[in-house]
Amino acid sequence: MSFDEPSLARLMTASQRGDRAAYRTLLVGCRRWLERYFARRIAPHHIDDLVQETLVSMHRKLATWDSGRAFLPWLAAIARYRWIDMLRRQRDEAELGDNDAAVGAGDEAVHARLSIDHLLALLPPKQAQAITLVKIEGASIAEASQISGQSESLVKVNIHRGLKKLAELIESE
Amino acid sequence: MKDASIDNLIDDLAGDLTPVRPRRVARGSLWVAAGWVGGAAALIWIFGMREDLAVRGMPPLSMLAFWLTAATGLAATWSALRMGLPGVGRDYGGWRWAVGASLSLPLAALAACIADGHAAMEAARHGFGLRCLVQGLASGLGVGAALFFWLRASAPTSPTRAGWVIGIAAGAAGATIVALHCASDDVVHIALWHGSAVLFSAVAGRLILPRFLRW
Repeated sequence: MSFDEPSLARLMTASQRGDRAAYRTLLVGCRRWLERYFARRIAPHHIDDLVQETLVSMHRKLATWDSGRAFLPWLAAIARYRWIDMLRRQRDEAELGDNDAAVGAGDEAVHARLSIDHLLALLPPKQAQAITLVKIEGASIAEASQISGQSESLVKVNIHRGLKKLAELIESE
Repeated sequence: MKDASIDNLIDDLAGDLTPVRPRRVARGSLWVAAGWVGGAAALIWIFGMREDLAVRGMPPLSMLAFWLTAATGLAATWSALRMGLPGVGRDYGGWRWAVGASLSLPLAALAACIADGHAAMEAARHGFGLRCLVQGLASGLGVGAALFFWLRASAPTSPTRAGWVIGIAAGAAGATIVALHCASDDVVHIALWHGSAVLFSAVAGRLILPRFLRW
Protein backbone atom coordinates (compact mmCIF):
# COMPACT_ATOMS: atom_id res chain seq x y z
CA MET A 1 0.00 0.00 0.00
CA SER A 2 1.28 3.48 -0.78
CA PHE A 3 1.31 5.90 2.09
CA ASP A 4 0.78 9.22 0.40
CA GLU A 5 -0.87 12.26 1.96
CA PRO A 6 -4.48 11.50 0.84
CA SER A 7 -4.23 7.86 2.00
CA LEU A 8 -2.80 8.82 5.38
CA ALA A 9 -5.45 11.53 5.84
CA ARG A 10 -8.21 9.04 5.04
CA LEU A 11 -6.76 6.51 7.48
CA MET A 12 -6.48 9.18 10.16
CA THR A 13 -10.10 10.24 9.69
CA ALA A 14 -11.16 6.61 10.15
CA SER A 15 -8.82 6.29 13.15
CA GLN A 16 -10.40 9.27 14.87
CA ARG A 17 -13.71 7.46 14.54
CA GLY A 18 -12.23 4.42 16.28
CA ASP A 19 -11.42 2.12 13.32
CA ARG A 20 -8.58 -0.04 14.71
CA ALA A 21 -7.66 -1.73 11.44
CA ALA A 22 -7.29 1.64 9.73
CA TYR A 23 -5.30 2.90 12.68
CA ARG A 24 -2.91 -0.03 12.57
CA THR A 25 -2.30 0.59 8.88
CA LEU A 26 -1.84 4.29 9.60
CA LEU A 27 0.74 3.55 12.31
CA VAL A 28 2.69 1.31 9.93
CA GLY A 29 2.70 4.10 7.35
CA CYS A 30 3.70 6.68 9.94
CA ARG A 31 6.51 4.45 11.13
CA ARG A 32 7.98 4.27 7.64
CA TRP A 33 7.63 8.00 7.17
CA LEU A 34 9.18 8.75 10.57
CA GLU A 35 12.12 6.44 9.95
CA ARG A 36 12.94 8.39 6.81
CA TYR A 37 12.33 11.71 8.56
CA PHE A 38 14.65 10.95 11.47
CA ALA A 39 17.27 9.21 9.33
CA ARG A 40 18.18 12.59 7.88
CA ARG A 41 18.29 14.28 11.27
CA ILE A 42 19.80 12.10 13.99
CA ALA A 43 22.35 9.39 14.54
CA PRO A 44 20.98 5.96 13.50
CA HIS A 45 21.09 4.44 16.97
CA HIS A 46 18.50 7.01 18.16
CA ILE A 47 16.00 6.50 15.34
CA ASP A 48 14.00 3.60 16.77
CA ASP A 49 13.59 5.29 20.13
CA LEU A 50 12.40 8.51 18.53
CA VAL A 51 10.01 6.68 16.19
CA GLN A 52 8.46 4.92 19.19
CA GLU A 53 8.21 8.12 21.21
CA THR A 54 6.60 9.94 18.29
CA LEU A 55 4.07 7.16 17.70
CA VAL A 56 3.09 7.26 21.39
CA SER A 57 2.78 11.07 21.30
CA MET A 58 0.72 10.83 18.14
CA HIS A 59 -1.58 8.32 19.85
CA ARG A 60 -2.04 10.64 22.84
CA LYS A 61 -2.76 13.66 20.65
CA LEU A 62 -4.98 12.10 17.97
CA ALA A 63 -7.71 14.64 18.65
CA THR A 64 -5.47 17.56 17.68
CA TRP A 65 -5.51 16.71 13.98
CA ASP A 66 -8.04 18.75 12.05
CA SER A 67 -9.44 16.81 9.09
CA GLY A 68 -9.62 20.07 7.15
CA ARG A 69 -5.81 20.23 7.10
CA ALA A 70 -3.05 18.09 5.68
CA PHE A 71 -1.91 15.11 7.76
CA LEU A 72 1.85 15.05 7.16
CA PRO A 73 2.56 18.58 8.48
CA TRP A 74 0.74 17.54 11.66
CA LEU A 75 2.84 14.38 11.96
CA ALA A 76 5.99 16.35 11.17
CA ALA A 77 5.19 18.88 13.91
CA ILE A 78 4.89 16.08 16.48
CA ALA A 79 8.08 14.43 15.19
CA ARG A 80 9.96 17.72 15.39
CA TYR A 81 8.70 18.28 18.93
CA ARG A 82 9.99 14.87 20.01
CA TRP A 83 13.29 15.54 18.25
CA ILE A 84 13.73 18.84 20.11
CA ASP A 85 12.79 17.08 23.33
CA MET A 86 15.48 14.48 22.70
CA LEU A 87 18.05 17.21 22.07
CA ARG A 88 17.08 18.85 25.35
CA ARG A 89 17.36 15.58 27.23
CA GLN A 90 20.78 15.01 25.75
CA ARG A 91 21.76 18.49 26.84
CA ASP A 92 20.65 17.75 30.38
CA GLU A 93 22.34 14.37 30.64
CA ALA A 94 24.82 14.30 33.46
CA GLU A 95 27.10 11.75 31.86
CA LEU A 96 27.59 13.30 28.45
CA GLY A 97 28.77 10.88 25.83
CA ASP A 98 28.80 7.80 28.03
CA ASN A 99 25.76 6.18 26.47
CA ASP A 100 26.44 6.97 22.87
CA ALA A 101 27.63 4.11 20.74
CA ALA A 102 30.08 4.92 17.99
CA VAL A 103 28.57 5.24 14.54
CA GLY A 104 30.14 3.63 11.54
CA ALA A 105 30.77 5.29 8.22
CA GLY A 106 27.96 3.45 6.46
CA ASP A 107 25.31 5.07 4.29
CA GLU A 108 22.91 5.60 7.17
CA ALA A 109 25.42 7.52 9.21
CA VAL A 110 26.37 9.64 6.25
CA HIS A 111 22.72 10.51 5.54
CA ALA A 112 22.08 11.39 9.17
CA ARG A 113 25.00 13.74 9.05
CA LEU A 114 24.10 15.32 5.75
CA SER A 115 20.91 16.83 7.03
CA ILE A 116 22.10 17.99 10.41
CA ASP A 117 25.20 19.51 8.90
CA HIS A 118 23.38 22.62 7.75
CA LEU A 119 22.15 23.18 11.31
CA LEU A 120 25.59 22.59 12.79
CA ALA A 121 26.98 25.14 10.36
CA LEU A 122 24.86 27.75 12.12
CA LEU A 123 26.58 27.08 15.47
CA PRO A 124 29.92 28.51 16.57
CA PRO A 125 32.63 26.14 15.24
CA LYS A 126 33.77 24.86 18.64
CA GLN A 127 30.22 23.99 19.69
CA ALA A 128 29.58 22.23 16.38
CA GLN A 129 32.84 20.31 16.69
CA ALA A 130 32.09 19.16 20.25
CA ILE A 131 28.59 17.97 19.28
CA THR A 132 29.85 16.24 16.15
CA LEU A 133 32.60 14.38 18.00
CA VAL A 134 30.59 13.28 21.06
CA LYS A 135 26.97 13.14 19.98
CA ILE A 136 27.32 11.99 16.39
CA GLU A 137 30.63 10.16 16.14
CA GLY A 138 30.38 8.67 19.62
CA ALA A 139 33.72 9.83 21.01
CA SER A 140 34.14 10.11 24.76
CA ILE A 141 34.58 13.51 26.38
CA ALA A 142 38.28 12.76 26.90
CA GLU A 143 38.76 11.76 23.25
CA ALA A 144 36.87 14.82 22.04
CA SER A 145 39.01 16.99 24.27
CA GLN A 146 42.16 15.47 22.80
CA ILE A 147 40.99 15.79 19.19
CA SER A 148 39.60 19.30 19.44
CA GLY A 149 42.20 20.78 21.75
CA GLN A 150 39.44 21.99 24.10
CA SER A 151 39.56 21.14 27.81
CA GLU A 152 37.12 18.44 28.94
CA SER A 153 34.97 20.93 30.81
CA LEU A 154 34.91 23.20 27.77
CA VAL A 155 33.77 20.28 25.60
CA LYS A 156 30.87 19.70 28.02
CA VAL A 157 29.97 23.37 28.10
CA ASN A 158 30.08 23.61 24.31
CA ILE A 159 27.86 20.55 23.94
CA HIS A 160 25.40 21.97 26.44
CA ARG A 161 25.25 25.38 24.76
CA GLY A 162 25.31 23.95 21.26
CA LEU A 163 22.41 21.55 21.88
CA LYS A 164 20.40 24.37 23.43
CA LYS A 165 21.01 26.56 20.39
CA LEU A 166 20.28 23.63 18.07
CA ALA A 167 16.90 23.05 19.74
CA GLU A 168 16.05 26.74 19.33
CA LEU A 169 17.06 26.65 15.67
CA ILE A 170 14.89 23.64 14.94
CA GLU A 171 11.97 25.15 16.86
CA SER A 172 12.14 28.33 14.83
CA GLU A 173 12.27 26.49 11.50
CA MET B 1 14.88 -6.55 18.47
CA LYS B 2 13.92 -2.93 18.00
CA ASP B 3 11.81 -3.81 14.95
CA ALA B 4 9.88 -6.30 17.03
CA SER B 5 9.36 -3.78 19.81
CA ILE B 6 7.96 -1.20 17.37
CA ASP B 7 5.65 -3.86 15.90
CA ASN B 8 4.45 -4.68 19.41
CA LEU B 9 3.99 -1.00 20.17
CA ILE B 10 1.88 -0.57 17.03
CA ASP B 11 -0.27 -3.54 18.03
CA ASP B 12 -0.71 -2.13 21.53
CA LEU B 13 -1.60 1.34 20.32
CA ALA B 14 -4.07 -0.01 17.76
CA GLY B 15 -5.68 -2.18 20.43
CA ASP B 16 -5.92 0.79 22.75
CA LEU B 17 -7.70 3.03 20.22
CA THR B 18 -10.98 4.62 21.18
CA PRO B 19 -12.92 7.17 19.11
CA VAL B 20 -11.80 10.75 19.69
CA ARG B 21 -13.62 14.02 19.20
CA PRO B 22 -11.40 16.28 17.09
CA ARG B 23 -10.55 19.51 18.88
CA ARG B 24 -11.98 22.60 17.23
CA VAL B 25 -10.67 26.13 17.57
CA ALA B 26 -14.29 27.36 17.58
CA ARG B 27 -14.99 25.41 20.77
CA GLY B 28 -11.87 26.81 22.43
CA SER B 29 -12.93 30.31 21.36
CA LEU B 30 -16.20 29.89 23.22
CA TRP B 31 -14.34 29.08 26.44
CA VAL B 32 -12.12 32.13 25.99
CA ALA B 33 -15.15 34.33 25.29
CA ALA B 34 -16.77 32.98 28.44
CA GLY B 35 -13.62 33.81 30.41
CA TRP B 36 -13.54 37.34 28.97
CA VAL B 37 -17.22 38.02 29.66
CA GLY B 38 -16.99 36.38 33.09
CA GLY B 39 -14.01 38.54 34.07
CA ALA B 40 -15.78 41.70 32.88
CA ALA B 41 -19.01 40.79 34.65
CA ALA B 42 -17.16 40.08 37.90
CA LEU B 43 -15.18 43.33 37.84
CA ILE B 44 -18.19 45.47 36.95
CA TRP B 45 -20.34 43.68 39.53
CA ILE B 46 -17.80 44.26 42.29
CA PHE B 47 -16.41 47.69 41.39
CA GLY B 48 -18.94 49.14 38.97
CA MET B 49 -18.70 50.50 35.44
CA ARG B 50 -17.21 53.90 34.61
CA GLU B 51 -20.03 56.38 34.87
CA ASP B 52 -19.83 57.94 31.42
CA LEU B 53 -19.80 54.63 29.58
CA ALA B 54 -23.57 54.14 29.57
CA VAL B 55 -24.28 57.81 28.86
CA ARG B 56 -21.95 58.98 26.10
CA GLY B 57 -19.34 56.26 25.67
CA MET B 58 -15.60 56.54 26.13
CA PRO B 59 -13.65 59.60 25.00
CA PRO B 60 -11.74 59.02 21.74
CA LEU B 61 -8.32 58.41 23.30
CA SER B 62 -9.59 55.84 25.78
CA MET B 63 -11.63 54.25 23.03
CA LEU B 64 -8.55 53.98 20.82
CA ALA B 65 -6.52 52.46 23.65
CA PHE B 66 -9.35 50.04 24.38
CA TRP B 67 -9.54 48.75 20.82
CA LEU B 68 -5.78 48.53 20.43
CA THR B 69 -5.59 46.43 23.58
CA ALA B 70 -8.58 44.37 22.52
CA ALA B 71 -6.94 43.70 19.13
CA THR B 72 -3.80 42.55 20.90
CA GLY B 73 -5.83 40.25 23.13
CA LEU B 74 -7.83 38.82 20.23
CA ALA B 75 -4.73 38.25 18.10
CA ALA B 76 -2.89 36.55 20.97
CA THR B 77 -5.95 34.44 21.75
CA TRP B 78 -6.27 33.34 18.13
CA SER B 79 -2.56 32.44 17.99
CA ALA B 80 -2.76 30.50 21.27
CA LEU B 81 -5.80 28.55 20.12
CA ARG B 82 -4.11 27.64 16.84
CA MET B 83 -0.94 26.58 18.65
CA GLY B 84 -2.96 23.72 20.11
CA LEU B 85 -3.38 22.12 16.68
CA PRO B 86 0.18 21.68 15.43
CA GLY B 87 1.42 21.63 11.87
CA VAL B 88 4.80 22.38 10.35
CA GLY B 89 4.57 25.54 8.28
CA ARG B 90 1.60 26.99 10.15
CA ASP B 91 2.00 30.63 11.13
CA TYR B 92 1.19 31.47 14.75
CA GLY B 93 2.79 34.90 14.67
CA GLY B 94 -0.22 37.17 14.05
CA TRP B 95 -0.16 38.36 17.66
CA ARG B 96 3.23 40.02 17.09
CA TRP B 97 1.67 42.58 14.72
CA ALA B 98 -1.04 43.47 17.21
CA VAL B 99 1.51 43.80 20.02
CA GLY B 100 3.63 46.00 17.74
CA ALA B 101 0.65 48.23 16.99
CA SER B 102 -0.28 48.53 20.66
CA LEU B 103 3.25 49.73 21.46
CA SER B 104 2.01 53.05 20.08
CA LEU B 105 0.41 53.57 23.51
CA PRO B 106 3.60 53.58 25.58
CA LEU B 107 5.28 55.58 22.82
CA ALA B 108 2.53 58.19 23.03
CA ALA B 109 2.90 58.19 26.82
CA LEU B 110 6.64 58.67 26.46
CA ALA B 111 6.06 61.60 24.12
CA ALA B 112 3.69 63.12 26.69
CA CYS B 113 6.34 62.68 29.40
CA ILE B 114 8.96 64.38 27.25
CA ALA B 115 6.59 67.24 26.43
CA ASP B 116 5.56 67.85 30.04
CA GLY B 117 7.23 65.58 32.57
CA HIS B 118 5.61 67.08 35.65
CA ALA B 119 2.07 66.81 34.31
CA ALA B 120 2.76 63.28 33.14
CA MET B 121 4.01 62.21 36.58
CA GLU B 122 0.91 63.71 38.18
CA ALA B 123 -1.27 61.85 35.71
CA ALA B 124 0.59 58.61 36.40
CA ARG B 125 -0.01 59.01 40.16
CA HIS B 126 -3.65 59.97 39.70
CA GLY B 127 -6.34 57.36 39.24
CA PHE B 128 -5.44 54.50 41.59
CA GLY B 129 -2.73 53.12 39.33
CA LEU B 130 -1.72 50.09 41.34
CA ARG B 131 -5.34 49.13 41.80
CA CYS B 132 -5.83 49.20 38.02
CA LEU B 133 -2.82 46.92 37.60
CA VAL B 134 -4.08 44.37 40.13
CA GLN B 135 -7.60 44.50 38.72
CA GLY B 136 -6.24 44.02 35.21
CA LEU B 137 -4.21 40.98 36.24
CA ALA B 138 -7.14 39.45 38.14
CA SER B 139 -9.70 40.17 35.39
CA GLY B 140 -7.59 38.38 32.78
CA LEU B 141 -7.39 35.16 34.76
CA GLY B 142 -10.54 33.76 33.11
CA VAL B 143 -9.07 34.14 29.62
CA GLY B 144 -5.69 32.86 30.81
CA ALA B 145 -7.25 29.79 32.40
CA ALA B 146 -9.35 29.02 29.32
CA LEU B 147 -6.30 29.19 27.04
CA PHE B 148 -4.13 27.25 29.45
CA PHE B 149 -6.55 24.34 29.71
CA TRP B 150 -7.13 24.38 25.95
CA LEU B 151 -3.41 24.13 25.25
CA ARG B 152 -2.77 21.63 28.01
CA ALA B 153 -5.22 19.25 26.40
CA SER B 154 -3.85 20.02 22.92
CA ALA B 155 -0.34 19.75 21.48
CA PRO B 156 1.60 23.03 21.60
CA THR B 157 4.99 22.39 20.02
CA SER B 158 6.62 25.43 21.60
CA PRO B 159 5.54 25.60 25.26
CA THR B 160 7.72 28.65 25.88
CA ARG B 161 6.09 30.67 23.13
CA ALA B 162 2.69 29.37 24.22
CA GLY B 163 3.38 30.66 27.76
CA TRP B 164 4.19 34.12 26.41
CA VAL B 165 1.12 34.24 24.20
CA ILE B 166 -1.27 33.03 26.91
CA GLY B 167 0.14 35.71 29.22
CA ILE B 168 -0.27 38.46 26.62
CA ALA B 169 -3.83 37.36 25.83
CA ALA B 170 -4.79 37.23 29.51
CA GLY B 171 -3.16 40.58 30.28
CA ALA B 172 -4.72 42.31 27.28
CA ALA B 173 -8.12 40.88 28.16
CA GLY B 174 -7.67 42.13 31.72
CA ALA B 175 -6.64 45.58 30.47
CA THR B 176 -9.76 45.88 28.29
CA ILE B 177 -11.92 44.85 31.24
CA VAL B 178 -10.29 47.44 33.53
CA ALA B 179 -10.93 50.09 30.87
CA LEU B 180 -14.66 49.51 31.41
CA HIS B 181 -14.23 50.48 35.07
CA CYS B 182 -11.34 52.96 35.26
CA ALA B 183 -12.41 56.55 34.65
CA SER B 184 -8.96 57.87 33.75
CA ASP B 185 -8.57 59.05 30.16
CA ASP B 186 -4.92 59.98 30.44
CA VAL B 187 -2.58 58.24 28.03
CA VAL B 188 0.20 58.01 30.63
CA HIS B 189 -2.08 56.31 33.14
CA ILE B 190 -3.45 53.91 30.53
CA ALA B 191 -0.03 53.03 29.11
CA LEU B 192 1.64 52.70 32.50
CA TRP B 193 -0.93 50.96 34.65
CA HIS B 194 -3.20 49.18 32.19
CA GLY B 195 -0.27 48.33 29.92
CA SER B 196 1.67 46.93 32.88
CA ALA B 197 -1.05 44.30 33.31
CA VAL B 198 -0.16 42.97 29.84
CA LEU B 199 3.56 43.08 30.58
CA PHE B 200 3.35 41.39 34.01
CA SER B 201 0.91 38.80 32.74
CA ALA B 202 3.14 37.99 29.76
CA VAL B 203 6.20 37.54 31.98
CA ALA B 204 4.20 35.41 34.43
CA GLY B 205 2.95 33.27 31.54
CA ARG B 206 6.50 32.78 30.28
CA LEU B 207 7.89 31.89 33.70
CA ILE B 208 5.09 29.72 35.08
CA LEU B 209 3.26 27.97 32.26
CA PRO B 210 5.77 26.21 29.94
CA ARG B 211 6.56 23.40 32.37
CA PHE B 212 2.83 22.56 32.56
CA LEU B 213 2.39 22.69 28.80
CA ARG B 214 5.04 20.11 27.91
CA TRP B 215 3.76 16.76 26.75
